[in-house]
Amino acid sequence: MSMSDRLEPASSKRRQKTLESQAQEAQRTIDELRSRDALKTQFLSNVSHDLRTPLAAIITHAEILRDGMLGELNPKQRDSVGGIVSGGQQLLDMIDEILTYVRSASDQVSLVRTDFSITEVVDQVRMLNQALAAKKHLTIERLNGDDLPPVYADRDKVKHVLGNLIGNAIKFTPDGGRVWISFSRRGREGEELVVEVADNGRGIARDNFELVFREFAQVDASPSRPHHGTGLGLAIARNFVELHSGKIWVESELGKGSRFFFTLPLNAPHD
Amino acid sequence: MPYRILIVEDSPLVTDAFRVLFTEAGYEVDAAATVAEAIERGTAAPVDIMLLDLSLPDGNGLEILEALRARGSLPRSTLAMTGHADAKSRRSCIEAGCAEVLLKPVPIGELLRQIERQLA
Repeated sequence: MSMSDRLEPASSKRRQKTLESQAQEAQRTIDELRSRDALKTQFLSNVSHDLRTPLAAIITHAEILRDGMLGELNPKQRDSVGGIVSGGQQLLDMIDEILTYVRSASDQVSLVRTDFSITEVVDQVRMLNQALAAKKHLTIERLNGDDLPPVYADRDKVKHVLGNLIGNAIKFTPDGGRVWISFSRRGREGEELVVEVADNGRGIARDNFELVFREFAQVDASPSRPHHGTGLGLAIARNFVELHSGKIWVESELGKGSRFFFTLPLNAPHD
Repeated sequence: MPYRILIVEDSPLVTDAFRVLFTEAGYEVDAAATVAEAIERGTAAPVDIMLLDLSLPDGNGLEILEALRARGSLPRSTLAMTGHADAKSRRSCIEAGCAEVLLKPVPIGELLRQIERQLA
């Protein structure tokens, strides 16, 4: 028996032990990170709740003043108080987005599925965004979908996803541009609906296709960036789509616009 | 006699804002910050409109409706207010007897309109 043969079992055992202890160490680190992440999420949720209440009071007081309930204001005073209301409203929207994200990422979130017409929801969201689009002289069109069967999904959450995608398309498309929504079907029997929200705006570089769906990520994260926000909109959209076992993705080319897609189950025809 | 509004809300900041709003709009205003206090105020004198925050320190706001119904002191109309009105919580409010579920903070114009509609 050679020297190395006799040494082999002992060193292999040692290696095995080292590997085991490394694996245990890695598991401890993962557990630790998970529990810190859960703590951070809980903190985010609590702080957002606590911010919401005084903000609601500020907005209500400012509205009372603005509407002249405590005496008429002159136009300059009214404008100024109006600024408090709209600034407060914007802040509230951001807090709500954080709360929606926390909920969408938590285990307790559940879907309330019903049959509904996806084109009806798309048209509602288009209406809601009409004023914003008009300001930038953008058009929002729905290209097809009148003959689609109902989708079986959580209407509020699908509406939220559409609102986010259409809102982003408006935000990142320059004046005079175009936003459009279209549908296609896939799967063996066309049982899956693919919803597309597209624009001819500035587009997204291929390297950022994954990044845009990550929480708190913004392609331009500099303080001087032209578009501010929580960076949670697409992360929420992804969570809501995935709750429906759907997929969400983007295809784009810089300067040539973006096409966001997500899938939803179409309702099986009723007997 | 002015209509009587009972504000059930645990944040004194929000209650103060509503108190100013409704007093200026000509209503008689009463307020409660807990389930227990709301049941007490709700039975003390008839309430025309109850504005109901759902999450209170000692329980869920809907418990108040149940207790007031048992005492024969249901307000003429109850408007629930919540920070998060999903389909499920909306349904449980309506089932419990709320006339409307409003998303907090409700713009004051809309809130006043809703109240007038309930009183019409």
